[in-house]
Amino acid sequence: MSITLDQVTKRYQGVPVVNDVSLDIGDGEFFVLLGPSGSGKSTLLRAIAGLSGVDHGRIALHGRDVTHVSARERGVGLVFQNYALFRHMTVAENIEFALRVRRMKGADRRQRRQELLRLVALEGMDQRLPAQLSGGQQQRVAVARALAHKPEVLLLDEPFGALDAKIREELRRTIRQVQRELGITTVLVTHDQEEAFAMADRIGVMNLGRLLEMGGPNELYTRPATRFVATFLGAANLILGRQTKDGIRFGERPVSAISAVPPHGLREHEVVAVVRPEEIEVAPTREALASGYLARGAVDEIVFTGALERMRIRLDGGADALTLAYSNGDGNPYLEVTRTQHEQRAFEVTKGQSVAIGVRRVHVLPTPLSSFTVCAANEALMIALAQQPMLVELASRMKTRISTRMEPMLGVPGAQCGDATAFSGTTVIASQPDVAHQAEWLLQRGADEVLVLPVNALPPQRVLIHWADEAVRSATLAVSASVLRHVSAEAVYIGILPQLTPTAQRPHGMRALLDARSEAQAVHGLEMRTELRFGDVAPELRRQLGESPGQMLILGVCDVTRLAEPFGSLLESARWPVLLVRRENRENEDSVP
Amino acid sequence: MSKFRQPSVLPGFGLTFGFTTFFLSALVLLPLAALVLMAASMHWSDFVHVVLSPRAIGSYRLSFGASFLAASINLVFGFIIAWTLVRYEFPGRKLIDALIDMPFALPTAVSGIALTTVFAQNGWIGRYLEPLGIKVAYTWIGVTVALTLIGMPFVVRSVQPALLEVQRDLEDAAETLGAGRFYVFRRIILPTVLPALLTGFTLAFARAVGEYGSVIFIAGNLPMKTEITPLLIVIHLEEFDYKGAAALGFVMLVISFVMLLTINLLQAWGRRRLVHSTR
Amino acid sequence: MAATQQSAAVEDSATRPGGASIRSSLTRWFFIGLSLLFLAALLLAPLATVFATALDKGVRAYVRSFADPDTAAALRLTLITALVVVPLNTVFGLAASWAIAKFEFHGKSFFITLIDLPLAVSPVISGLIFVLLFGLHGWFGTWLQDHDISVIFALPGIILATMFVTFPYVARELIPLMQQLGNDEEEAAITLGAGGWMTFFRVTLPKVRWGLVYGVILCNARAMGEFGAVSVVSGHIRGLTNTMPLHIEILYNEYNFVGAFAVASLLTLLAVLTLVVKTLVERTGYRRR
Repeated sequence: MSITLDQVTKRYQGVPVVNDVSLDIGDGEFFVLLGPSGSGKSTLLRAIAGLSGVDHGRIALHGRDVTHVSARERGVGLVFQNYALFRHMTVAENIEFALRVRRMKGADRRQRRQELLRLVALEGMDQRLPAQLSGGQQQRVAVARALAHKPEVLLLDEPFGALDAKIREELRRTIRQVQRELGITTVLVTHDQEEAFAMADRIGVMNLGRLLEMGGPNELYTRPATRFVATFLGAANLILGRQTKDGIRFGERPVSAISAVPPHGLREHEVVAVVRPEEIEVAPTREALASGYLARGAVDEIVFTGALERMRIRLDGGADALTLAYSNGDGNPYLEVTRTQHEQRAFEVTKGQSVAIGVRRVHVLPTPLSSFTVCAANEALMIALAQQPMLVELASRMKTRISTRMEPMLGVPGAQCGDATAFSGTTVIASQPDVAHQAEWLLQRGADEVLVLPVNALPPQRVLIHWADEAVRSATLAVSASVLRHVSAEAVYIGILPQLTPTAQRPHGMRALLDARSEAQAVHGLEMRTELRFGDVAPELRRQLGESPGQMLILGVCDVTRLAEPFGSLLESARWPVLLVRRENRENEDSVP
Repeated sequence: MSKFRQPSVLPGFGLTFGFTTFFLSALVLLPLAALVLMAASMHWSDFVHVVLSPRAIGSYRLSFGASFLAASINLVFGFIIAWTLVRYEFPGRKLIDALIDMPFALPTAVSGIALTTVFAQNGWIGRYLEPLGIKVAYTWIGVTVALTLIGMPFVVRSVQPALLEVQRDLEDAAETLGAGRFYVFRRIILPTVLPALLTGFTLAFARAVGEYGSVIFIAGNLPMKTEITPLLIVIHLEEFDYKGAAALGFVMLVISFVMLLTINLLQAWGRRRLVHSTR
Repeated sequence: MAATQQSAAVEDSATRPGGASIRSSLTRWFFIGLSLLFLAALLLAPLATVFATALDKGVRAYVRSFADPDTAAALRLTLITALVVVPLNTVFGLAASWAIAKFEFHGKSFFITLIDLPLAVSPVISGLIFVLLFGLHGWFGTWLQDHDISVIFALPGIILATMFVTFPYVARELIPLMQQLGNDEEEAAITLGAGGWMTFFRVTLPKVRWGLVYGVILCNARAMGEFGAVSVVSGHIRGLTNTMPLHIEILYNEYNFVGAFAVASLLTLLAVLTLVVKTLVERTGYRRR
């Protein structure tokens, strides 16, 4: 491995800007760190270069631990967004700078300089000053300068940010060529997904300081595991559906579309499906569709963009309406559709026209948190809870919806559900006295996850993870991974052994801990710390939670008949949110493939 | 150290910080401490006796009065000069622009004797003022003239960038909205350059209060009439009355600090307004 | 940059429709006239007087006035003072601006205030504080006398007072310049393997060289021309502790106007030279605020 990052964390004033990032970049690989501004990608790059220290974790270059090695001795080549050329030196002097530092002989320096200038196609520019070059040429010089001392790793920090589109294109090609020719391991930071697609062997998507997903451009685009990646890499319609034994159902009808994930799992549950705009087909009637019928709608807006036509289609209302995970329009939700010139010619539409919508390909996100359903016994509490700031913030970051559900008999033993439909997504209830019984009540009646939310809770800075039984480990980890992608918080798994554990069994506890960590990392893409404690579970968790404000607990439980006894005070304290996860062991059905 | 400064990859903090601290301590803090302690070692009544003696009060009146007058003159003419330099193209503009800094660069003794010569009874300008009954040299008017000269660049150089800043967007916007010239000046230009104008005024005032070289030649130095406070300190020193000198010096030092604080506040105000207006 | 911005603005307003009316052209000339009159009376007349009086009795008398041994001694003392003070203040300015512009630390604004202080206090006080330290009745006065070291009324005192008055100039030029230019180039140099000194000499110093040149020149001009502070510590001993500005005072008070203005003309030329350098530096594109 050329670059290895192990749980790298960097905080500014206590807030993690790079949060537990682990990453292996292979020899000669072109790796792109992609993310919106403020996602921590530049900070991570500066940490690799040694320009910024890390608070936690390890950085290795070619197997050599360089965490505490100065930037000067790391021997990386770094290209800055604003070139950072030495403005008083000529192109030749700029390129030879690193060679001079290494006391290379004049003739060798000249030869190396000629090589590099040929590489970046700037022959004959040796004696110019940076101010006499165009932006694109300056950046070429910067690349040549960064490569002069034959670094093992080339780092590029938004190198095209200050250039216009044409030159950008050209320079991309040059850099890719140079990289292939030299076979140098390269990391490029950008916020431009098109750029990432064009250049990367592999892309790592960052958000809120976390590395969410890694993979080849095509893989990430067609099979994203998270909502953020699905929507950040190109446009996506997120549709709520139900996973059944026969396939995915949207509204009342099954859709016979090609799904990227084969149907799995035993029990029916809610899922989030990604439908790319180009996978949607429109036709005058349902029969004329070549693909599976989805719904009817009216064309709301058409924008001509050259090669493609972009449309917004407002879905018709009604009982069998599609449920979008997230709709930012008023009234009926709309779908984003793009069509090629070819498709346009086959079926011309005008604004306002009613069309049948079909879908060619659906990708189901492996995320267990599909949507939120606020549940309460009275309307006032239900409305208050649906507007709870932390929940609203979380739902908006997850691009999902908050629906409401009245349960007048909530918590009354033996009572039936007021609402006959099955529970979907995560059920949210208010933290109050007797909430433990309400949680039990819901879990027994088919809710998968229950979020017990104090009305004044804020987005957490630390998320504690614990499961009461190994049987729910996998489900708890999957839920934790999903939550932690959307909050900038540190994840800590707390393993708790009884106070009286014989010393001989303690290594066993440690092993369980490490197993949990490696499963979280490998299967769910979740980086977390681990801590081992001794004592009784509930008081120990309570002590940990009470340490500082801004904490949240994700608790996996198996036995849903006796929640109140151990965890009652934990749930009713109203000082921290608790997300209860209960799953029958369903053979890792929620894990990332 | 890690708590004291934020980490950076650039080397040399210890060296440069240490050297700077040493230099400032030895050259500034230690001597200033000597002044403050010397003044503090005086008996309270002695201190008051020196600081509030009629001669001292007379010198304050001249120093502060003339400085205020000079800074006010500069407020008006400094603005006009800055305006002319920024707004109008005329032959010699660049030369004039460069000359504005002359009082910065010119030794005070030189400007002192030169001004005295020009404004003396038989001087180039003095000879025309004499018949009008205006005596400049060796009167408080002369002091004011000298202080105006040394304060002038401060106002011009503060206002110039502010005027350049306001130039385009705001004023053009106002004019397209139908505002007249005087209205634009009163409601757009003046408020925008006000912080700079006041900063320039305070800088000029602060510099004038402490000025020595260019004043003593033209002042005449008559006790109670044309004797400035810095000169009074020198007189105390020449009589080896260190304590008296320290007492007066302490008073002036406190005034300097207040000025410095005012300037900082004014500049912060100006920056804040600039930030707000560009948002 | 400022110059192009300014001339563009001037051109813009000159070609603006409705801008060429008689009224606006009258205001224009009124303002220009007023400015020129003010500057002529206050600045140009004194400047011209310096040379007119110096050459009043002819070139020969002018040249002869420099042959006076006391004048020569004053010239020498001023040069020695500047030779000691300017390099020291340059090193200080570089160190202070590096520490302040490149690093974040607590108490930074206190540092900056201390650096600004000499510009705000009266030159007389700048001299006074050293008299209080090293004078006969000062803190170290007795000790110095016992060891037969003279500071006040001698060269060391003159150097100290001059240093105090002039040390802000280099630092004040460099701090905003370094802050404005940022750290990218230094960071690039370090990733390329350069050490601290190499980064400083090969990257930072060339980057700020014009600001440094101006700061040093200004520092030099003030050091050679300082009057108030030096006057307090020097003791005015002819031929020994008289710098050029002090010598001007003595000659002037003795009604030796040709002599006084001859020396003054030298210092005036120095000031003109300083302004020329400043103008050239600004023309390199580096913008002063």
